[in-house]
Amino acid sequence: MTWFSHLFTSLLEPFGYSFMQRALLSCALIGFTNGFLGTFIILRRQALLADALSHSLLPGLALAAMIVGLSPGGLLLGGLLAALFVALGAQVMARNSRLKEETAVASLYIIAFALGIVLIRFAKVKVDLTHFLFGNILGVGNGDLWIAYGAAFLTLGTLVLFQRPLLLTLFDAAVAQASGIRVKWVETGLLALTVLGLVASLQAVGVLLSLGLLIIPAATAYLLTDSFNKMLWGGAFLGMICAVGGLFLSFFANIPSGPCIVMLMAVFLGAAYLFSPRYGVFFKLIRGRHYHEESLERWEGHQGHDHQVPDKNS
Amino acid sequence: MSITLQDRQQMLCIEDLTVSYHRVPAIHHLSLSMGSGHCVGLFGPNGAGKSTLLKSIAGLLKPETGQILIEGIPLEKAASLIAYLPQRESVDWDFPVTVRGLVEMGRYHQVGLLGSFTQRDRRAVDEALELFNLTPLARRQIKELSGGQQQRAFLARAWAQEADLYLLDEPFGGLDRTSATALSSALRTLRERGKLLLVSHHALAEAESLFDSAILLNGELVACGLTAEALSPQNLECAYGTAVYSGTHHHS
Repeated sequence: MTWFSHLFTSLLEPFGYSFMQRALLSCALIGFTNGFLGTFIILRRQALLADALSHSLLPGLALAAMIVGLSPGGLLLGGLLAALFVALGAQVMARNSRLKEETAVASLYIIAFALGIVLIRFAKVKVDLTHFLFGNILGVGNGDLWIAYGAAFLTLGTLVLFQRPLLLTLFDAAVAQASGIRVKWVETGLLALTVLGLVASLQAVGVLLSLGLLIIPAATAYLLTDSFNKMLWGGAFLGMICAVGGLFLSFFANIPSGPCIVMLMAVFLGAAYLFSPRYGVFFKLIRGRHYHEESLERWEGHQGHDHQVPDKNS
Repeated sequence: MSITLQDRQQMLCIEDLTVSYHRVPAIHHLSLSMGSGHCVGLFGPNGAGKSTLLKSIAGLLKPETGQILIEGIPLEKAASLIAYLPQRESVDWDFPVTVRGLVEMGRYHQVGLLGSFTQRDRRAVDEALELFNLTPLARRQIKELSGGQQQRAFLARAWAQEADLYLLDEPFGGLDRTSATALSSALRTLRERGKLLLVSHHALAEAESLFDSAILLNGELVACGLTAEALSPQNLECAYGTAVYSGTHHHS
């Protein structure tokens, strides 16, 4: 029994440190929230816009560091403003010139990123660029935790409350608008929540890897289910499991937490890509979906069809 | 005939409607009104304003002049009475939703933001699935349907919504013959149940078997009435013989 209790003690070891407790709690919150949010971003096909936004956070963070130092609230506000500036700026540019929106987004975010690197040299306090780029989960303070609480509460609350209009908008914006939904508001709100989700996960995984928590769990769930609800909650739980699991791995293997979390999610994504019962590459290879019986049914008295001719291609 | 002088209490009443893109009007001062229980074909050359008219009634385009009334109610307050069926290309067929889930979307405005589905809502969904022969397919993801079944799934959603006015933009485009037959019988069912259907359509060949009434457009209203009368040779000559005004330059 000694080896068992030994293993047990060492597994529990991380919980003994208060910095680790904060880190775990923060990872669980962020993983869950961003995994949930990811479904909306994927179905709206905005994964790359989210990437652009994550990079554009940098000048906001730098500006905040210049003016108010490294307080979490200031960083949050700075990042939020910078990302919204890029997102809205790109829309304005696309509307008033011949540039398409993705070109405008790409130009603006990379400019913002460069500007951020320049600005960070002028910060009042000494700032480590790698800290922003790759995060530092073990440095999660109480202020960061409050931001994680707030972001989780606001994001989950809003998304659950407006799930139905959101679903209609994602599915077909024109039809949603025709049915009386204010599509512009819904889309802007989603954009704002995306930025909030990115900012909240900065401390854990940094600017460059924050996209992972937002996209990969939901993408994994998308490969596994045909139900919007299951995709939502599945992505959320997977995000939480990966964030917490990745943190454990990083603790024991002594690797930075951000890459650990993303690599763990990669394992799940790879497994779903290959072995999803319905959409996995592996099962598609060994047995293509087949409607043999339905096809036969057409010739057998058309049960359940009262039009004269059964549909082809069924 | 239902298409008459303006009667504001009719199902659909359009008064002096002008809609423009970048100051080039696509529809000129169009007025008409229609009662329920009709399946109306919308005809005209490319750029005649068929899609524009449908989108205006759906509330997707702002009119420059005039107004649209649905059962005497201004358009903005009548959104739940209108079902606008998307064109096939605008739908993401990989969306994680089953046929039943799609039809349930039609109930969202009744159940509200957080309300749960009541017995009545579930019955409405069942009924819609039954009406369009989709019950055996209810658990399928929407990509696993044929083109005609996909069209019927969207009609079922509109039925569950309890819409009275159906707007369909080129629903027959790209359907094979059997699917087209099934769709036209679905449209007939809706007409018999007292719905008003407005359907833009390209081919004139089978107009009379598909639609009881027709609207002929060429930027302006050329004719409307019973299909055979509205699509008379003189009217067609008038609609298709005059180039559509498209501003100072030509666009295809």
